[in-house]
Amino acid sequence: MPRRDGRALTTAPDTPAATRPRARRTGQGLLLESLLLAAVALFFLNFNPLGAMSVGHRYSQDLVYAWFGESNWLYPRLDPDTKTATAAHPRVVVMIVNDAALDLRGARWPVPIDFHAELLAELEVLKPRAVMLDFFLIDQAAPAATCAFLTAAAHLRAQRIIPYVAVTEPTELTGVDAGDCRSESGEPLVAARVLTPVSVRLQSDGTDYVNRRYGFEQRATGVAAGAGLPSAAVRMYCDFVADGPACLARLTRDRPPDAGFELAWSPAGDPFNQRWSEARCDEVPSVTQAILFKKPLPKETLCPPVPTLFASALLSPAEDASFGQHNEQLLDLVDGAFVFIGGNFKAGGDLMTTPLHTRLPGVYYHAVALDNLLAFHGSPKVRKEYRGHKLEYYLFDLAVLWVLAIIFLRRQAWISRGQPTGGGPFSLSPAARSMIAGLLGHLPTRLWVIAAAIVLVLLAAFPLLQMIAVLLAVAVLIVVEVRLASEGELKGRLRNLALYCAALVLSLVVVAVAIALGYEWLALPPVDWVGYLSFAAFGFFVAHTAILEFARNVDASHGAKDTGEKDA
Amino acid sequence: MRYRILLVLPLALSALAAVGGEPASGPSADICLVLNNRIFAPRSADRPLPLLKQTAEHTFTPACSVTWAVLNPKGDALPVEGCFRGSLLQLPNDSACGKGTGKLWVGARWVVTSADMADDSKHAAICQRLETGSFAGTRALTTECQPRTRELTGFKVDLPPAKTPATKAPPADPHP
Repeated sequence: MPRRDGRALTTAPDTPAATRPRARRTGQGLLLESLLLAAVALFFLNFNPLGAMSVGHRYSQDLVYAWFGESNWLYPRLDPDTKTATAAHPRVVVMIVNDAALDLRGARWPVPIDFHAELLAELEVLKPRAVMLDFFLIDQAAPAATCAFLTAAAHLRAQRIIPYVAVTEPTELTGVDAGDCRSESGEPLVAARVLTPVSVRLQSDGTDYVNRRYGFEQRATGVAAGAGLPSAAVRMYCDFVADGPACLARLTRDRPPDAGFELAWSPAGDPFNQRWSEARCDEVPSVTQAILFKKPLPKETLCPPVPTLFASALLSPAEDASFGQHNEQLLDLVDGAFVFIGGNFKAGGDLMTTPLHTRLPGVYYHAVALDNLLAFHGSPKVRKEYRGHKLEYYLFDLAVLWVLAIIFLRRQAWISRGQPTGGGPFSLSPAARSMIAGLLGHLPTRLWVIAAAIVLVLLAAFPLLQMIAVLLAVAVLIVVEVRLASEGELKGRLRNLALYCAALVLSLVVVAVAIALGYEWLALPPVDWVGYLSFAAFGFFVAHTAILEFARNVDASHGAKDTGEKDA
Repeated sequence: MRYRILLVLPLALSALAAVGGEPASGPSADICLVLNNRIFAPRSADRPLPLLKQTAEHTFTPACSVTWAVLNPKGDALPVEGCFRGSLLQLPNDSACGKGTGKLWVGARWVVTSADMADDSKHAAICQRLETGSFAGTRALTTECQPRTRELTGFKVDLPPAKTPATKAPPADPHP
């Protein structure tokens, strides 16, 4: 008997008639059932016992960037043409200091501070927007050399080029002071005033140790959010925009100490690097290649995605004679750009693992992070767990899954209309089932079970056989169905197939809208996209429909109780 | 004998041809090998030239940045008085950045020299490669060690070892 309040749950078409509650299909019932299904789906989407699901989620995000990282909708980077940088979207450039560069000035590893001073003085000519030195200045140095470095940094600052320096803790800069160091005008030069300290701490995912996350700030547990040492890219971006303190507060407030944003990566190298790279810089992985040859991530390339200038090329025209007679290309690249200076020495150890599973010198970590902040206008992609008010993001997921669940339930209802068995478009007809059972029935059970086990072991062991076997099985089953089924049954199956495809397309449209809203509006990373798609395309809702049976039983019992009370 | 010469001559000629096909010298040494090298102009006319001075320890340090007009008021070509690893050129000017700098140096990147004019055919960058191999080893440092002092470390100097007591305890038996 239907409930008199009209909230009766929808009768599932595949529910056996004996257990079906006598419920009317109402719009409200459909909404309630789909809400229940969506809530269960949301739980399983975020069910992560022992962190086992995290690897898959992260990997799926890596695949998104590996395949589509060159697309402007996913990662709106600057056009590779060096002249396209604007005041609103400056270029980010990496400068690599290596043994060859040190040798040009008679220096050797570890990089002496007077080499840094020389490099800053040379860079000043190119008028970058800011310079970040990704070196810890912790080695002992003569006071004169330290003073020369502070003087060069002060010159930069006087030109409104902010010099940033990597530190492990905020007080470390006091070690860079050089006694009575004074500028030409006689003012004392103090490191803390001349240099801006920034954190360069690497963040890695605990599941696979890939550095796909960039910290907002470095702070100890117990220190208030926003009171730590800002990370290099965050500090540089906020110094670049109009209201720096507000920008820092917005990016760091209400976050746990280990919070960070996801780094979007491009799978292709920057075309500028082709001048020095023997590796190709324009190779983008193809989805088709990945499916056919099972190489989902791009092969390791030594052409990085950020324009890279070797310090040796700056220090000697013989190292790069192609910058033009007037250094035009050099000026186009660096003028107004953020320059990150990092070391790359054999066995130097400053390496990071990118989400595309290639290793790069650590300085690229900061360069790509700043490029992300510029590309996404200061709203980088942040996982839900690092949000201050995370519940609203889960409610967004619930809404998406709810719509998908409604489509799923409607599809199931349409497909099974008029079919007592409620078979889907891909299920075998009873005639086909009995024919196959009859064929197998000629063999002794022991024989066919062992034969099936052997075949399955072979399929498990040899991936090539899997594809062949699946194609063969599909072809055989189609032939069997076509030969056994009547014309009416075939028509019904084709109708169901069309409905299934229509529902699938509709679900994919919903997922596309959800992805666009989540990525653009809520700044959520692609980590949940595969989850959405699994519910839309692969029918993962089917696995959770048992909850609907339970709900219907509860509903029936509640309805009966209501009726009993009324009768009494 | 004549036959031997005929046999050896083609080999010698082919060897000479092979040597002639190789680059004349390493790229960074080129500019320093040019005789009577002269600086004609700055590469980027609107930018100041970063000048360096040599320290007593024979390292380089920034001196100042000046325009080409300040460095060379007459506008004549400046002779290169010294060269450092193809990267730095010594100028005959010791006053552009004030007194006590010695003869100043400029990066070869920022000036056009007669060596550049003579070798106009080079328009390529030397191939580079990022070092991304990880090793379970530490890169050796060959710096000299110094005794720990308060000035060097900023910490309290290690105290000398305490005076040996008059009665020394017997050494422990390694095989009890």
